[in-house]
Amino acid sequence: MYRGREGQWAFYLHRLSGLGILVFLMLHVANISSAMWGPEVSNALMKFYHQPVFQLGLLLLIAGVLYHGFNGLRIILMDFTPWGVRYQRQLWYGVWVLFVIFYLPFLVKIGGGILGGSHGD
Amino acid sequence: MAIKSKRYQEARLEASTNLELYWWVFMRISGVVLVFLLIGHMWMNAILTDLNSIDYDYVAKRLSQTTWKIYDLLILGLGLLHGANGLRYVLDDWIRNPSRRFWTKVVLYSLIAFLFFLGSLSLFNHDFGVN
Repeated sequence: MYRGREGQWAFYLHRLSGLGILVFLMLHVANISSAMWGPEVSNALMKFYHQPVFQLGLLLLIAGVLYHGFNGLRIILMDFTPWGVRYQRQLWYGVWVLFVIFYLPFLVKIGGGILGGSHGD
Repeated sequence: MAIKSKRYQEARLEASTNLELYWWVFMRISGVVLVFLLIGHMWMNAILTDLNSIDYDYVAKRLSQTTWKIYDLLILGLGLLHGANGLRYVLDDWIRNPSRRFWTKVVLYSLIAFLFFLGSLSLFNHDFGVN
């Protein structure tokens, strides 16, 4: 399908980010559903997840979601336009441009929080 | 087998069954919807809110509003289905042994079904329309 280079990387990263997001989604649903067991259980879990290491994980997750989403749009353009496949490499760089634009606010806000030592107490 | 084609016309030819073609189409449609839903979701919780202030009250309040119930239910349903089908593509590629592939799918699909049940249960566990 692809002959190495950008297309191959796009494909591997798409799979890897997809699997990562699915694993997160499972933990996330389990965590949020703890609200059914009342404030004590829920808040204890939330506090656990407010540790800086999980916020680093969150930054990684957001990167994964943004990449997977924008690269998904690239795949759709390749599928449904007559020119998408021809320009798949250029489109991939477009994905990264969009990625940087959308990722910066998250990086500043969450990264700043970690560096500022905020952990929700 | 999962469809490998990059174009709709080819995908239609490659699809061994109509169901496989529908999954291919579903991945594109749910993908576009999820991009917008998830950017909105992440923006709201990480940029507009201080992540560290998220606690039981915040979650209970959010999940008590009908709009967010529907929004989150869409993410939950589409996300789990999109993820489950994506996982199926990966497992078909990576696990060569048929019986091992079958049982891995049984376990993972059950887990995903359970999480859909758990997630929707917790969404509808909170009262509607509370501010």
